[in-house]
Amino acid sequence: MEPQCKKRKTRTLGTFTWEVMPVLSDEKLCEVELVEAFAAPIINKKQTSYLIKQLASLYPLNNLPHIKRVRTCRDKSDHPLEIIICLLRDIPNRKLSLSDLFREGKADGIGLGEPFQVKIPAYQPLTRFQFETASQHWPTTFRENKQVTDALQGHLFNTEEKAKMQTFMEKAIEVANFGKKMGMEPVGAVIVNPATDEIVAVGHDCRNGPNPLLHAVMVCIDLVAYGQGGGAFNHNKYPYCYFKTVESFPGDYAINIGKSLLPSDDRSLRGTTVNGLPYICTGYDLYVSREPCVMCAMALVHSRIRRVFYATPSPDGALGTKYKIHTKKDLNHHYDVFKGLMEDECQFLLS
Amino acid sequence: MGEGGGFRPPEQHEREQWMETALSMAKEALENGEVPVGCLMVYRNEILGQGRNEVNETKNATRHAEMVAIDQVLEWCHQRDRDQKEVFEQVVLYVTVEPCIMCAAALRLLNIPLVVYGCENERFGGCGSVLNISKDDLQQTGTPFQCIGGYRANEAVELLKTFYKAENPNAPKSKVRKKQ
Ligand SMILES: [Zn+2]
Ligand SMILES: [Zn+2]
Repeated sequence: MEPQCKKRKTRTLGTFTWEVMPVLSDEKLCEVELVEAFAAPIINKKQTSYLIKQLASLYPLNNLPHIKRVRTCRDKSDHPLEIIICLLRDIPNRKLSLSDLFREGKADGIGLGEPFQVKIPAYQPLTRFQFETASQHWPTTFRENKQVTDALQGHLFNTEEKAKMQTFMEKAIEVANFGKKMGMEPVGAVIVNPATDEIVAVGHDCRNGPNPLLHAVMVCIDLVAYGQGGGAFNHNKYPYCYFKTVESFPGDYAINIGKSLLPSDDRSLRGTTVNGLPYICTGYDLYVSREPCVMCAMALVHSRIRRVFYATPSPDGALGTKYKIHTKKDLNHHYDVFKGLMEDECQFLLS
Repeated sequence: MGEGGGFRPPEQHEREQWMETALSMAKEALENGEVPVGCLMVYRNEILGQGRNEVNETKNATRHAEMVAIDQVLEWCHQRDRDQKEVFEQVVLYVTVEPCIMCAAALRLLNIPLVVYGCENERFGGCGSVLNISKDDLQQTGTPFQCIGGYRANEAVELLKTFYKAENPNAPKSKVRKKQ
């Protein structure tokens, strides 16, 4: 404990050798997908609202609610506006004539020019980068999630938060070293209640002992269970693995469910307390020196963890490398994942 | 221990007979207010481990039937001073519901060669339903395993439905799925 305190004192506040990056879902990172459509110039601006109404009933574009039907043409002098008519796939032979569209035969009178093909964004953008790319093709709506934007620019955590995060990862490194001395894989994990900044459980990897499934994350999950009056494994042989007993909370003030970084309709936080105790790891954060494997990543889904911070990636890692289990749509709980926290130190641990 | 002979996959009638026992474990889970999933680990015609879901009892959300049974096999090996790796390489898992992603990864890590299961696990399945952990190319995560599904699937599903009806009587029928 002593050397750690000293280290903390000498560290200049605000300088960190590491940077954390969020591990976002593929949907948030992917290129903007485009779909082909027909558009036409609006020659007579006064007809715009009539055209919008007519086209909305002919081609409601129900699957593209994010698309703005009309765009202004700043550079083109011959017409002020352009309007989306329909998707290319709505027209079987891909030949669109205005007289087919407006059977009343007033095609010229309605003020619409010759149709042309455009590519428009197939989905609503999720990030600012996607929004900027999408808008180059056709205007779309975008409800910016400030946190996602900040996260992508690396501005999510302030200096004070980073200092705390480093303290918790240092604890994970410390316990990993204790495990290493006992012949274990040098991996450490710490579970924290971010509402109180209290450490709930500390564990190192025990897979080289009698139970090959006791990865550091599994050890910590079970230690949290012990703290809540449960638990399944005998941790007596591992003095550096410990938990803090969680007293029954008066109400649930100490459970920080926290806002998810990624907007979702996650219903998994319902029923998060049982007899005044949190449901397993609900609202807690995990700091682990190495990216968890599939078993551990899914164990964290089952345990309802809130956030995971890891240092270095693993070859079969399930939180960014091989899978992104924390963002998997079909699963009933999702959590935020950040990588890179004290990456160099944890890389050194493994070498 | 030099008994020789490699791994022999079970015959059809053996699979049915073991699944019967796994179902009775699932029923026991139901009676104890746990998600009704039961399983057995069979090694050379002998049950080395049997488990049912123990999540509520232990307050540990990873205590699925498979994990409970694995611990019993480990204990069996420990008591007899047998090599875990050698034993697990010849174990067949019989489980009433397709193993979840976590358990599928655990089975790989232990090099279990064959899993016989009842119904599919639409919510968490790791043998094809949500992810295909049993077959994917994961060099650092043990060995892939073979799966045979559909044994007494209807009975396994019925147990789950009974559980979720009791847990939430207002649950719409379509939501009645496995939540281990
Ligand atoms: Zn693991
Ligand atoms: Zn499972």
